[in-house]
Amino acid sequence: MPFQAKHDFLVESSHDELSRQNYVQRLRMHILNQIGGGMRAVYDKRVKPQFEKSQGRAPKDEYEVHVAMLSDNYGQVWSTMMRSCQEMVWDSVIPAVERAQPKLNERIRGLNARYGTLTLDPSVKVPRYVSATDIHLMPGNYHTERTADDASQGALYDRGRFVYNGGAAGPYADAIPRTIATYIRRKWPDFKPAQALELGCTIGSSTIPFVDGFPECEVHAADVAAPVVRYGHARAEALGKRVHFHQMNAESLKFADGTFDLVYSIIMFHETSTKAYRNILKECHRVLRPGGLMIHMELPPVGDMDPFEAFYLDWDAYYNNEPYYLKYTHEDIRACVTNAGFGNDKFFQVLIPDLARSPQAFEAVVGGEVIKKTQVARVGESAKWFTYGAWK
Amino acid sequence: MAEPIKIRPVNRGKRPHFFDDPAIDQLFAIVMAMSAELSVLWDRVDTTERLLDQKGTLSRADIEAFRPDEKVHTERTERRNAYIDRIFRIIREERDSLVAHDKMTEYRELMDDLSKN
Ligand SMILES: C[S@@+](CC[C@H](N)C(=O)[O-])C[C@H]1O[C@@H](n2cnc3c(N)ncnc32)[C@H](O)[C@@H]1O
Repeated sequence: MPFQAKHDFLVESSHDELSRQNYVQRLRMHILNQIGGGMRAVYDKRVKPQFEKSQGRAPKDEYEVHVAMLSDNYGQVWSTMMRSCQEMVWDSVIPAVERAQPKLNERIRGLNARYGTLTLDPSVKVPRYVSATDIHLMPGNYHTERTADDASQGALYDRGRFVYNGGAAGPYADAIPRTIATYIRRKWPDFKPAQALELGCTIGSSTIPFVDGFPECEVHAADVAAPVVRYGHARAEALGKRVHFHQMNAESLKFADGTFDLVYSIIMFHETSTKAYRNILKECHRVLRPGGLMIHMELPPVGDMDPFEAFYLDWDAYYNNEPYYLKYTHEDIRACVTNAGFGNDKFFQVLIPDLARSPQAFEAVVGGEVIKKTQVARVGESAKWFTYGAWK
Repeated sequence: MAEPIKIRPVNRGKRPHFFDDPAIDQLFAIVMAMSAELSVLWDRVDTTERLLDQKGTLSRADIEAFRPDEKVHTERTERRNAYIDRIFRIIREERDSLVAHDKMTEYRELMDDLSKN
C-alpha cells in the first residue's frame, strides 16, 4: 500500500502515532476481508438453516437477515469489531491534528492563493442531515468549528480517510474521481466542458482529478461545510491546482441557470436526505447548460440484491452513523433523475472498474461492455464504481 | 495565541452493543486497543534495532525522527498482518469451520503459486 502523498498542510504524525495509524489500517482490512469474508458462509451454513428450521421459511428481507445475523455470535463479533475499529481510525489521527493547531489554522488563514479561490458564505446554514450526527463517527463531522476560521475537520478528514481506506485509493485517495474523470474523457472524447462543478467536494480530493483530466476547464467545487473547503483550498494551492471553492448548499446553488457543462458528485447523496436528494438533482438540472452532463458516483441500489447482500451493505446505516444511507440505497434513482427534469432516454447508469486496479476491465467498459453483477461492498471497499447520470 | 483545540465527538449518539452483555463489547474494544499498542511498541523496538544496526548508538531523538521507507513499511505491514492473524486466530477458525473446503481451488492456487517461481 502506498504512503499518503505529502503536502504543506497534511498534519505530521509522530513516530508512534504513525505506527498506530498503520496498524489500524491493517486491522480494518483484516476485519473487512478476513472476518467480514466469513459472514456469507455464516449466513448460508448456520443462520439461514436455523431460521428456516424455526420459521419454516427463509428470511424474507434484509431486516430479518439483520436480526438473525446479529443474534449469531459471529455476526456480533464482526459488528463490534467494525464499530470499534472505526472509532480507532479517528482516535489514531486526532492527536496529530490537535498538535498541529492553532498553527495550522493560522497558516491557512494567511494563505496567499496563486491558483484558485475560496468563497465562504457565513449565511449558509448547515442542514440538519449534516449537523445531526457525526457521520461515519468522525468526531465533529465536516462542519464543526471549534474556533474562528477553523479548518481542523478538513485536516482530520484528510489523514483519517487515508487510514480508513488503508491507502487503497492511492497516495491522493482519489481512485474514484480519477476513474470517473477518465471515463468521461474516454467515453465521450468530443465532450469538452468549459465549466464544471462538483457538489459535496469536502477537501477537494475528488475535484483535483477533474482539474487534471480537463485542463481547459474552469473547475468549481461546493460544499456546505466551511472547515473542509477552507482546508481543501489550502490543499489545492499546496498541490498547485486551480480550483474555485465555494461554501454553498447544493440544494440552493448561487449559480445562474445554465452555467455549467458538467455537474458531478462523488459519494455525496447518501449523506443527504430524501428531500435534499430531490432538491439537489433539480439544482443540477437548473445549473446545467443544454447538452451538459450530470454524473454521480454513489452506492449501488440494493433493489436487486439478495437480502443478505442488502443487509451487509446497509449495516453502516445503523452502526456507522449514516442516517440516509439506508433510504438512499432503496431510492429509485432513474425516477428521481427524470422527475428532476432530465429525459428518461437521457438517463444512464454504469458500473466502472477502477482505473488503477483493473485497467483492462476499465477499458472494456469504456468500449461498451456491461458488468451485470454489483459486488457487495462499502464505499472504497470494492474496485467497481456505480455511476449514473443524464445528459440535459 | 489562540486556544488549543480539542477534537471530541459532537453528535455520536448512544454507542451500540452487539452482545447481550455490553461488557463483552467493551472487552473487544479493550483487546483491539491493546493489540494496537503492542504493535506500536513493536515498531519502536524495530526502529531501535535498525538504528543500532546502522549507527551502533542512538538517542531518543533519533527514534522520534525515524520514518519507515517503503522497504521497512512493507516489512512491517507483513509483520502486522501475521500478528493480527495470530491475535484473532479464534475468529478465523470459526470462519474456516464454515467455509467449505474447496480442494479444486486449493490445488489451482498452489499450482499458480508454484509456477510463479
Ligand atoms: C462523503 S463526503 C464527499 C466526499 C468527497 N466527494 C470525496 O470524494 O472525498 C460528503 C460531503 O457532502 C457535503 N454535503 C452534504 N450535504 C450537502 C449539501 N446540501 N450541499 C453541499 N454539500 C453537502 C458534506 O459536507 C460532505 O463534505
